[in-house]
Amino acid sequence: MLKETLNKFLILNGVQAAVVIQENGEIIESMKSAITINKDVQAALSIIMLDSKVTAGQFGNASLSTVFIEFTDYMVILGPLIEEFFLVVIAKSTANIGQITYEMKKNQDAIVAQL
Amino acid sequence: MIEQLPEGKSIGWMQAPPQWIFTHTVRFMGIVRVVIQDGEGFILIKKGTPLVYYFKHGRIELRGRAALDYFKSHPIIEFNLCKYTPEEFTEALKICNFEERVEGLPPNPDQTPEQDSPFEGDLPASPAPPVSETPPAAEAPPAIPAVSSISPAPMPSPVSQAPAVEAEEEAPELPEESHGEAAEEPVTEEYPELRYPSEGQEVPPAVVLDEPDMKIIGQMKRLNGIVAISVFNDDRNILLMGDVAIEPLLRIARTMLETTRKIDPLLDWGSFVHMTLQIPEGNVIIAPYHENYLCILTTRTINIGHIRRILRDLQQNSNGMTLI
Repeated sequence: MLKETLNKFLILNGVQAAVVIQENGEIIESMKSAITINKDVQAALSIIMLDSKVTAGQFGNASLSTVFIEFTDYMVILGPLIEEFFLVVIAKSTANIGQITYEMKKNQDAIVAQL
Repeated sequence: MIEQLPEGKSIGWMQAPPQWIFTHTVRFMGIVRVVIQDGEGFILIKKGTPLVYYFKHGRIELRGRAALDYFKSHPIIEFNLCKYTPEEFTEALKICNFEERVEGLPPNPDQTPEQDSPFEGDLPASPAPPVSETPPAAEAPPAIPAVSSISPAPMPSPVSQAPAVEAEEEAPELPEESHGEAAEEPVTEEYPELRYPSEGQEVPPAVVLDEPDMKIIGQMKRLNGIVAISVFNDDRNILLMGDVAIEPLLRIARTMLETTRKIDPLLDWGSFVHMTLQIPEGNVIIAPYHENYLCILTTRTINIGHIRRILRDLQQNSNGMTLI
């Protein structure tokens, strides 16, 4: 069921992976297309999740909505789901960021319900 | 005295270290109006040569070297660059009695003149004490605080932006545009690393932004939803355009930068383009900018895709001018 929901992201232009992941880097579920999520990527995602929560806390304990990190080849978009779980979308830099974040918000409740 | 001076043509308000003024006014002739807390002052500059320094806080007047020292005691000052015509500049010099006295300081503000300040009073060892008082000495003047001490705002609130300053055809060494009232001098004890280095301390090398950089940053600042833009590096904030306290913003920007440095060796995804942290109040974006970094604070409603494109263009074409 969760795979089906994640698969909705893969049909978006440029999206390479949609992952539900824990803050410690452990992948709960993922759908990928022509990309490898190895230990280094998992470690990097874990750093982003943990650090971003801390950084958001510097804004008077503001809640974190979304984190985007873009490189010349790929970008990653992370959105908190519930507790220590995040939805992560990895896409080519040519992808439409607005479309991805829209789908992330639209499917957030469904993903949380499936966890 | 300040009220008598010609208005000049405002190029814009900005916040920057005092040294910025001296390194970016080579072709500028006019007045730099300085506001520090409740006091105000000015520097008359003719093509890179500061001729008159003046600052007034209540009944206290600082002139010449004392005023300069006071400006330099602040890591960042807020000022408005106003261009003068030759006639206006002559008039301003007359008002300051410049023709009658040799009152200027050397172009390099770090050079100490042999003679005392042409204005009355002794040069203070520290910038805070007054040089001269207009009222009778019986009334003790309030001390000018060296720095203010406001609590760092947890999130610099988006503010209404001042109307855009008219485009400046000349003054190539100056920022084309900056904007409205800036935040109160925000240095606090909590951020000692951001203090202006005192004498004896090692001063980080000056960072000079070129005219195209200033234009680009000014253009970005004018976009709807941009609350503030800072250019910073590991040592200092180089430039701030926006009505926010710089220290809390800079602290967050550096935390984000640290995150990118941690993940960069782990990901083979190309060069870092930007990191955007979205919270309910807005977005904080950091991005490489030449050898420095940009930190952009935006409202929540801004088009992230637009900002993305601009940042990509900036990095792909470092000489590009028309980005927006």
